[in-house]
Amino acid sequence: MTQSFDTIVIGGGPGGYVAAIRCTQLGLKTAVIERENMGGICLNWGCIPTKALLRSSEIWHLLHRLKEFGFEADNPRFNFGAIIQRSRKVAAQLSNGVKFLMKKHKVTVIDGEAKFSAPGQLTVTHKGATAQATAKSIIIATGARARELPHLKADGTLIWTYREAMVAEALPKRLLVIGSGAIGIEFASFYRTLGSEVTVVEVMDRVLPVEDEEISQLAAKAFIKQGMTLMLGASVEALEPKGQTVSARIKLKDGKIENQEFDRAILAIGITGNTETLALDKAGIKTDRGHIVINEWCETGVPGHYAIGDVAGAPWLAHKAMHEGVLAAERIAGVKGLHPMDVSKIPGCTYCWPQVASVGLTEAKAKAAGHKVKVGRFPFIGNGKAIALGDSEGLVKTVFDADTGELLGAHMIGAEVTELIQGYGIARTLEATEADLMATIFPHPTLSEMMHEAVLDAYGKALHI
Amino acid sequence: MNAISTGRVFASPLARRIAAQRGLDIAQVTGSGPGGRVVKLDVENAIPPLPKAGEVSRPHPKEAGMTEGSLPAATAPAPKAAESAAAPGPDARLYFTKEAYTEIPHDSMRKSIAKRLTASKRDIPHYYLQIDCELDALMKLRADLNAKAPKDGPAAFKLSVNDFIVKACALALIRVPEVNSSWTETALLRHKHADVGVAVALDFGLITPIVAKAEGKGLADISREVKDLADRAKAKKLKPSEFEGGTFAISNLGMFGIKDFTAVINPPHAAILAVGAGEQRPVVKNGAVAQATIMTVRLSCDHRVFDGATGARWLQAFKGFIEDPLTMML
Repeated sequence: MTQSFDTIVIGGGPGGYVAAIRCTQLGLKTAVIERENMGGICLNWGCIPTKALLRSSEIWHLLHRLKEFGFEADNPRFNFGAIIQRSRKVAAQLSNGVKFLMKKHKVTVIDGEAKFSAPGQLTVTHKGATAQATAKSIIIATGARARELPHLKADGTLIWTYREAMVAEALPKRLLVIGSGAIGIEFASFYRTLGSEVTVVEVMDRVLPVEDEEISQLAAKAFIKQGMTLMLGASVEALEPKGQTVSARIKLKDGKIENQEFDRAILAIGITGNTETLALDKAGIKTDRGHIVINEWCETGVPGHYAIGDVAGAPWLAHKAMHEGVLAAERIAGVKGLHPMDVSKIPGCTYCWPQVASVGLTEAKAKAAGHKVKVGRFPFIGNGKAIALGDSEGLVKTVFDADTGELLGAHMIGAEVTELIQGYGIARTLEATEADLMATIFPHPTLSEMMHEAVLDAYGKALHI
Repeated sequence: MNAISTGRVFASPLARRIAAQRGLDIAQVTGSGPGGRVVKLDVENAIPPLPKAGEVSRPHPKEAGMTEGSLPAATAPAPKAAESAAAPGPDARLYFTKEAYTEIPHDSMRKSIAKRLTASKRDIPHYYLQIDCELDALMKLRADLNAKAPKDGPAAFKLSVNDFIVKACALALIRVPEVNSSWTETALLRHKHADVGVAVALDFGLITPIVAKAEGKGLADISREVKDLADRAKAKKLKPSEFEGGTFAISNLGMFGIKDFTAVINPPHAAILAVGAGEQRPVVKNGAVAQATIMTVRLSCDHRVFDGATGARWLQAFKGFIEDPLTMML
């Protein structure tokens, strides 16, 4: 049996299901082929369940500060299994939500694994049975999985990827986190807050290497204060499971080798696209280092074939995938007046403690791109709401083009900054200049006032420092 | 014939600033953002300036095809007419074969003219007052002043009849301030200065640069300023502040031999003066036919803002200044 559609989306993650909804909104007969769970990694094994875990660790952190807020409680404890269970419940709820959305928007969901037999033609395998599906347009949204290296491989018990790390049976006493990007740092933060001894090994000379250097420094300072061990400019040369522990050979910044024992290790050294099972060569679609090659319109070069989200390369963010999904759907439907994907408008958020959020260029990248910059800073300690919340550590930093007043980038670290960054995101999308941001009235008392002050400071007009 | 300043352009603050910094008229830039908004990229792409209409430039994306919700079809749908100039009848293309015409996509100026003046004619209750002015005294004064003008250097000037008209309008606007007003839904705005727009024909449209506070400026200053504004308008070098707003406008087609015509008010103005050619006509003076240089002007008035008698008083004042130009010096 062959089913025909206007558009088939391969993969039901945040990029894929959003693309499918947009396609049906535009009148296209659309199907999603999903081999596992609707909602993909994001809902089931990524963004959402980790936020549930981090919420628990945040509460644990606050329980240690009860006195400061005028409370007294004896001997607070946690049940690690219940924390994991809550996270799974949250994921399940949202995955069901996506199934409902598919029904509501009349998207056909096909269970199974898709493989190209020719451009526009797919074979879908599900529980041993195969079926054919064809479409005028195909959007590949198969996502990605944790990257492994020949000497760094997960075994699922002692050496984890994010997947095992979020359903651990018990709290490891000594945890090694390899890689200090968003995934590594979020788990490091979660486990450290609950009491694990956490060591983070990062090959670059700073944590969260994609963030502004100043933010990285402040983050490192906070992590060290929390008791994390940071090994920067270092790399794990070998990783060996030994019964109940993992032995790591770590090459330090100065070239010295150090052998350490851990109870568990998490591999967070990037991700690699899920391309292998697709038989992309049958459709003539090219890959490069594990990711499908696309242009700024998500086009693969094979007419009618698009790729979006993690499988199409960095940045590996669900909201980037969703935006690309909408873009590809509108491109297929011939919507006019579209703008290509602009990476500099994609905000990035890391939900460690303290949180980190940014959009646009870092100060160093702005300078490297030839901009004459004006930089503004405002510390949390100068903000009334931050002090009232008891979260007075952090910084908001803005980078402007000195000639045009364009907000090139904004970088934040501290409480709730992941909820704040979108203010700057809107400013960048609307192409606000410093004058518009200065003329905006920010409510008092809020953390958002720091965003105003950081703009004012770039022009020597800050009021509260 | 209409006088127009291109009015509100949807553009991002950054696009506006970069356009201003590079001397680019944002009204000339085709916007690619949501709803045709001009964004930074458009301004950067617009330097050097876009080709003039008539050379069939790239079509504006909003006009040329489908919008959200429509599907790709085997045959491309006929382009929709621009919203701003939506014709009251069927698409004009239906009456002609494709070979019989050249299609010139609207640039932002054409769209702006269409949109603003359609709204003006539809929403403003226009009425018109006409009067003849004798120019002989003015022509003599003009010749005398021009004879005394330095020919070179920054002080050089050569007064045109239009320069006198700008000055006379400004003084009449101060004398009859009811005309020097703008309509808003809640109030009339009575302007304290006469900012007089002078319509300048461009080969691709029309723009109305403004002589600000013209009531306080001398004829030589007005003359130099109008010349400078017109030159820069033609070179697309005007800043938005130099053609947006204004309190009144003049449209002069005298140089084409047009005797009398009617102009469309360009809000926020409440009136516009259509100026015809000065020509020798027989007039009856003291019972005898005599010869005089006569110019017919016609004031288009917004009845919401001022009524007939007020418009008439304004024309009287204007005529008084034109016919006895030395009183403009007082």
